[in-house]
Amino acid sequence: MSASPVFKTDLLGAIPSLRAFAVSLSQNSDKADDLVQETLVKAWDKHASFQPGTNLKAWLFTILRNEFYSQMRKRGREVQDSDGIMTARLAVHPSQHGMLDLKDFRGALEQLPEDQREAIILIGASGFSYEEAAEICNCAVGTIKSRVSRARNRLQEILKISGEAEFGPDAISSQVMGSNAA
Amino acid sequence: MDKIKSGTISPRRNGSADPLGANSEIGRKLKQYYDELVSDEVPDRFAQLLSQLEIADPARKKDRS
Repeated sequence: MSASPVFKTDLLGAIPSLRAFAVSLSQNSDKADDLVQETLVKAWDKHASFQPGTNLKAWLFTILRNEFYSQMRKRGREVQDSDGIMTARLAVHPSQHGMLDLKDFRGALEQLPEDQREAIILIGASGFSYEEAAEICNCAVGTIKSRVSRARNRLQEILKISGEAEFGPDAISSQVMGSNAA
Repeated sequence: MDKIKSGTISPRRNGSADPLGANSEIGRKLKQYYDELVSDEVPDRFAQLLSQLEIADPARKKDRS
């Protein structure tokens, strides 16, 4: 069966999301584009196994994610090593007035383990449900939930936005909860 | 749900089941980070790649459509 022009158009439309996910995973834009390219080739080859009407984006994300982890295994965690170097360069400090800078946030995100980073990206940014994210990551919904929660806590720790009651969500919740009113 | 130690980590807990919602700073930054990536200009190589795949698709040569 031939891949239809519709399929091609749909793939084209998914590229921006795929690239964003690939950068989030690999933290490297060159590797990310290689991942996207590999994903498109694989998706084209496997297009017959895609069921029209189901979530194409989730299907593509699954392919991309599998590709990412298999490349990482082949490279012997070289990805992780380069992450370490990047992380050392990007020490994170809370900015003045607590306004979190996007650069700081990127640095913090980079320090997360891959499984937590992908979980929080899928749920918090890519717009997938916990069920869809679990399917993409081939794990239980509860696992995704705990990864997201650990990722969030870790980000808050790194960015030191926890315990500061003067601004941000903490200020709101401490007012509402009537606690932590330092 | 995980236990949140008060005073250490206190994300928005007031009635919202969504810890990454619009009122959470982490949630907002996450979306900002990602939206920036999504809006990044897509290099031509991807469209070219898909066109090549389309041309090379063996099933297409069988003149069905």
